[in-house]
Amino acid sequence: MWVEPIARALAATFPSTERLPGLDQIDPRPGVRRLLAEAPLAVRYALYGGALLYHCGPVITLGVPVLAGWLGTERRDRHAARLATHPIYLVRQAMLLLKSIGGLIWGADPAVRAVLGMPAYPPDPGTFREGPLPEPPRTPTATPAPASWVQPGAAP
Amino acid sequence: MTATPPCGSHLSYAEGAALALDADWVVVGSGAGGAAAAITLARAGHSVVVVEAGPWRDPEDYPHTMYGTMRDMFLNWGSLVATGDSIIPVVQARLVGGTPVINSAIVVRTPGDVLAQWRDEHGLGAVFHEESIGRAQDAIEAELQVQPTDRGVMGPTATFMLDALQRFGMEAHPTDRNVANCKGAMQCLQGCRNRSKQTANVLWLRELIARGGTVLSCAPVDRVRLVAGSAEGVDGRFEHPVTKTRGAAFGVRARRGVIVAASATGSAPLLQASGYRHPWLGRGWRGHPGAGVVGVYDRPMDMHVGPSQAAASLHLRATGGVKLEHLSLPLELFAARISGAGRDLMRRLEEYRHCAMWVSAVRCDAEGSIRRTWWGGTALHYVPSRRDLARVREGTKTIMRMHFAMGARKVYPGVVGMPTEFTPDMVDQIDRAPLDNRCWTWVLSHLFGGCVLGADPARSVVAPDLAVRGVKRLHVVDASALPTTLGVNPQHTIMAVAIVTARRLAGA
Repeated sequence: MWVEPIARALAATFPSTERLPGLDQIDPRPGVRRLLAEAPLAVRYALYGGALLYHCGPVITLGVPVLAGWLGTERRDRHAARLATHPIYLVRQAMLLLKSIGGLIWGADPAVRAVLGMPAYPPDPGTFREGPLPEPPRTPTATPAPASWVQPGAAP
Repeated sequence: MTATPPCGSHLSYAEGAALALDADWVVVGSGAGGAAAAITLARAGHSVVVVEAGPWRDPEDYPHTMYGTMRDMFLNWGSLVATGDSIIPVVQARLVGGTPVINSAIVVRTPGDVLAQWRDEHGLGAVFHEESIGRAQDAIEAELQVQPTDRGVMGPTATFMLDALQRFGMEAHPTDRNVANCKGAMQCLQGCRNRSKQTANVLWLRELIARGGTVLSCAPVDRVRLVAGSAEGVDGRFEHPVTKTRGAAFGVRARRGVIVAASATGSAPLLQASGYRHPWLGRGWRGHPGAGVVGVYDRPMDMHVGPSQAAASLHLRATGGVKLEHLSLPLELFAARISGAGRDLMRRLEEYRHCAMWVSAVRCDAEGSIRRTWWGGTALHYVPSRRDLARVREGTKTIMRMHFAMGARKVYPGVVGMPTEFTPDMVDQIDRAPLDNRCWTWVLSHLFGGCVLGADPARSVVAPDLAVRGVKRLHVVDASALPTTLGVNPQHTIMAVAIVTARRLAGA
């Protein structure tokens, strides 16, 4: 239910330019779905709030009581820009959250990174150590002279 | 309690039978303070169990993207914030090795004026003085291979900053870091996959296990067992780092004592959850908020190469309370830092490869508080003062001038109420930037307090020997105990304080 409104808000925050693909060209939906599945409740609720503000916000940015989706390209762009610099602090913070989440999805996209001449990221392993250490542990003697600063009974 | 693991092991998330261990010492937390205390005790022949809330990730497990970093390495995806008149993000890690795994590995000795302040205002001169701290820091530097960043691995963002500082006649230095054979891969903030960063998960905790110690990961401690005014151990329940499922219960009995090192965002709430009460518990919470200024150059500056922080200046620290640092951000974080939204934002992002960011980190006067919420979360209250804001404004102006002196064609100071883009003739306008926290883009990365140490029993939670007042066999050895901010990166001081304390405990 929330994927589409969030994806549209992110696409308006990061739209394409002549040179850079934005989240209107790169489909942010897989990233949004993944985030909604993985992120803690506080992040998800904040994102819902940010998306809601974006969609209902034209009345406070452009003075028109319509949803953001009904705006043309130019006015939608002006709406997003004004949210980011809005005099009400919490409005700006909500937009900052959308930028933070959108940035994570947009900035890691291989197409964006290719245009900027940067290598694509390999997949994140998402792994952690579940068992004992695999390699032989370092022998204590390999440590540079710990005894000089760990003296039982030594005064500080 | 039915299962007892062997000595010298790492135990991660488990379900089923409850786990019971005992050791001379239980250390809660495996970051700078916890790991330093644990290895010191282990080397002195004591048995130690380290209990860490987050998972153990080896360099091969570290993520590449910032999405993965926030998910896998950060405390609650970086969603912890300090609130007051504004909302300030707080950067903390949650994994074995603690925040040093995801910081820029900067090592700065405890400044002499800080030790003098601790001596004169907090009565700590007999314990933490230049000799005791200096001796511990000598050893840390030798062991963690601390060395100045080689100019050969720096990106242009750092070398330009060093040149700019010299041009202005200001002190300038490559950052000293606990990094060996740095390849300049710009992975400091995601954890160094090259194993260059000498953190506890690749060094001290492995040695601890080799010496017969035990590390529990994915093991958040629910409470310190306080029985008749004495700390007898800790209790908790494993938590799966992906599913957040709660697993088996665990309990660790401490024969000699419990050492809490759960960080400036964890130790005070843990003591509160354990039923400990003191009027100053949770007070004295402080930080070094930082604000960055981006310069846009005609030539490539390539923030995506080199160490994340390779150049710094302490020139303004004593007089202005500000440390100047270079800070490179991956594109994903930079996108959120740049002003604007929509096409304006994207046009600025087109120039990412031509941007350099330098930061002023403020030694704030402000004091906040930390407390455990009724649902088990952490609430931070923190409001940088007008004086703090005036300092960051001055630091911002200095950085703007440095950028322009080095040929930047425009800068983005990122202050609401000011123009988004400044050209060289506009620099003095920043003097009119509002002294209002809501207009500045802060991030809090160096945190202190909550269990403040001192000589006055009425105004300090822990005594100069870092023993928690009114409780036997309970100590706090992390940033939460530090009574002041430092004005420099705190990792080295935290480790030294922990080592000095652990050495004394080992000999007691």
